Amino acid sequence: MTVDPTTRIILSTQRYKSAPRTDQFINIPFNQSTKDMVEYDRSVDLSLVAVFDQERQASTNFRPVTKFTILFENGISGSTKYVPYRDNLYYTNALENAKSYYYQGNQPSVPPAPTDQNIPWEGLPQYSEFDFIRTDNNVVGYTKPPNNHIAFKNVSATTYNWSHYLSYPYENVSNKSLFTVEPNTNITWSWVASNGIPYYIKKGATINSNEISFKCPMKHGLTAGEYVLLSVNYNGNQIFQVSSLGDAGSGSEEYIFNIRNVGFVGNTFATNSQGTFRRLINPSNSADTLSNYYIRRHKIVTSPDCAVLTNAGFERNIYGDKKKCEIKVLTPNQVKRTSVKEGSRAYTLSFNCDFNIRGLRDNQNRPLTQLFFTTIWRGYFGWTRNLKQGWDFNTFLQNKKPQTWWDQSNANSNVNISQSQYNSLALSGPFYYNNFLQSGDTIDGDFCEWNNFEQYERVISTYKHKIKFNQNWFTLASNTLSSTNQLGYFYQPHNPIQIAAFSDYIEEGSSENVVGIPDYAYYSTFMALFRWRDLYPYGFVDSDGIGVDYPYMNNSHYPFVDTIFRITPEDYNIPNEYSQSGKVPQNITQIDDPLIDGCE
Amino acid sequence: MDANRIKIVKTGIDEYVNVPINMQWDFTGRDEAISEYETTIIEEVIGQGTDFEISRFPQDIFADFTTAINYEFYFYDYLLPITANTIGNWGISYLNVGFTPQQVYYYAKPFTKSFFKLDLYNTPEDKNQQLYLSIILPVQQGDTQTVILSPQIGPIEIKKPKMILDYIGDKEGFFIYWLRKRDYIDIDKFYMTASFFDGRTGVFRQMTNTKQDLITPNKFTFDNSKYFYYRVDLDYNNKTYKVYSTSTNLRVGDSLTPIKFYEYVNP
Repeated sequence: MTVDPTTRIILSTQRYKSAPRTDQFINIPFNQSTKDMVEYDRSVDLSLVAVFDQERQASTNFRPVTKFTILFENGISGSTKYVPYRDNLYYTNALENAKSYYYQGNQPSVPPAPTDQNIPWEGLPQYSEFDFIRTDNNVVGYTKPPNNHIAFKNVSATTYNWSHYLSYPYENVSNKSLFTVEPNTNITWSWVASNGIPYYIKKGATINSNEISFKCPMKHGLTAGEYVLLSVNYNGNQIFQVSSLGDAGSGSEEYIFNIRNVGFVGNTFATNSQGTFRRLINPSNSADTLSNYYIRRHKIVTSPDCAVLTNAGFERNIYGDKKKCEIKVLTPNQVKRTSVKEGSRAYTLSFNCDFNIRGLRDNQNRPLTQLFFTTIWRGYFGWTRNLKQGWDFNTFLQNKKPQTWWDQSNANSNVNISQSQYNSLALSGPFYYNNFLQSGDTIDGDFCEWNNFEQYERVISTYKHKIKFNQNWFTLASNTLSSTNQLGYFYQPHNPIQIAAFSDYIEEGSSENVVGIPDYAYYSTFMALFRWRDLYPYGFVDSDGIGVDYPYMNNSHYPFVDTIFRITPEDYNIPNEYSQSGKVPQNITQIDDPLIDGCE
Repeated sequence: MDANRIKIVKTGIDEYVNVPINMQWDFTGRDEAISEYETTIIEEVIGQGTDFEISRFPQDIFADFTTAINYEFYFYDYLLPITANTIGNWGISYLNVGFTPQQVYYYAKPFTKSFFKLDLYNTPEDKNQQLYLSIILPVQQGDTQTVILSPQIGPIEIKKPKMILDYIGDKEGFFIYWLRKRDYIDIDKFYMTASFFDGRTGVFRQMTNTKQDLITPNKFTFDNSKYFYYRVDLDYNNKTYKVYSTSTNLRVGDSLTPIKFYEYVNP
């Protein structure tokens, strides 16, 4: 820095006429800053642990693995005359069927006994029709000539029945039309996801009641003291405080909430009236504390060829195989065989391709913390047709029948998975199957609640698919159900795996006094503050067990999880005790350890 | 330094005050630079992370959409001693090795401890080749042949060294598990040779891809690179492999052109 040579210093008296004489000063800031080099900076030790952690935190590559344990109840029987199917059933009424089929009797010593090919045989599709890996590649008349159904290709053994993908939730769909039913009263709701959670008033406002009791067909997620924004209003007021939860029934607090009856009159709170509500934490700050409700939509990120499905060693579930011997004389093709009703093998699913989460955001525009193993029914062997979608609350029966939601005519329950068809090598058809999804395809997911104030997403009801039989080839056992709305099997397509974790506490601050506010933070105009949950680093697990600590190597994270994959027959998911007071339908997917048991 | 009283007297000429302003500054981001340098040094010391992840490579499908890989292992029948002029006799049977039907049928330990070992090298040249991976084919896999154990027992089926490996059924050795990426070892062609570990004697029996009878001009002295190997090509995009004959360069392994290995017999 040098002084500008053109600078002229003028005597003060010369500055203007009659200028006073004054001393002149030049203020020169002599700022000198030096910094000793810290000894540590010059002789830092190489820490492999630090390097490992540095690489681990920087890595965005994931190679998820899961072990599938399949729980399957083969519970929907039917009948068929189609020979390849007929000859491979798990027979349930073989003696009677044989009597009709061999109408002159069936004496093996005097073959061939005349048969009536128009007699359907009753039974269950064998377990191989639902297994993750088909091994029946050598069944004459079914997968092997002559007169076989299809030409079995071993390379497709893992994709004939199911296909597997990785997916993540990437957007919210609020305008999804939903439907459910209350199993006891058969009250039905048709609502839009953004409207919240449906309810009916179990105990209305009467003179003698202190509380009005609302019952929901799914977990309401409320706590006492919070508020509900009802779809109906009482003198213009839609917001009411929850005074208590539950009734006398065990577990009812998750499904029933009560508001204080302060003398409401009229029909707004009449027993059996119904509506929807949204959870509200603070009425004075409804902009932030009113919950949003939506269906989260997933994006598929792997192709079907990426999935590698193998046997999980010799592991089997605790229920074992259920099989029996089909006696030669009690089969239509005079072949003695072992038929399998239910199997027990476990499988391992991994992927040949890596998944990089760099730049990806979830449905709340936050970094990805969950991936999903998405399993889709393919049904290439043609037993089924028209895969349907719904949610856990659609699995309850309606008047002891499948909900009208599942009817073939209801377009709202159609999946966005295309079907194809073929004719079998036995020259019959058409048989239908679901096409593969491809990377980039989207598919619906769980029904969720999000609250900006809490920065927390709650799964209200899990996404379900319903597998329905093709009645042309496999007619369900005699029932009074509509032909377009028969029983089927449910499964949960999306099974999560945690790849990172948000903190259980909420940070808040303004950009003026807090550095490092993440870009996914929510700005509350009411409080003029950002609110967010911290993203825990990989390998950190807090005292509550929140966090992930998966193996890290090859510059990749290796998350793994055990998944129980249930294939549940419809009509099997209503507990017997439902009719008891306060009992509620629920499909238990896991049993948590109690934090506080009933004795404390 | 702002309290001096400099008095400048008028002299009729311009006056200048030279003020030496000495400024020192710290390097911006010096700490960051050190951290970056530290990372560089660490990389120099311990190297960058290498991806050793493997993938499963099944055999690629054939034109008829089958995927099974067919192996046939022929053992020499020592009842006919091999000489430079005799025509030998190889057969697909463990009995030629010296196992008894009882040992094979009852899975005696000398039999079950035996196995085929497929070694995959980077080159067929013995002198500079490197073994990259081995595939073990247990003798419990494979087709069967009919034998008679004793007059009291009817014909029974025992294993024979003809294996059809696929996605389901016998699949031990069907898949090649190899590095997913080519960053560490960039190789897409292996040369596969076979040997049989004889659980009775504890020795390996080397195998050729051609009957020694057909090797000319000398059935005992020949070019190893031609007669000991099949070529295995990896396709990293599809994660599959194909096996080729080194002599014809045609794909082999399907049911019509199985991969044949013949026991090498010393003179």
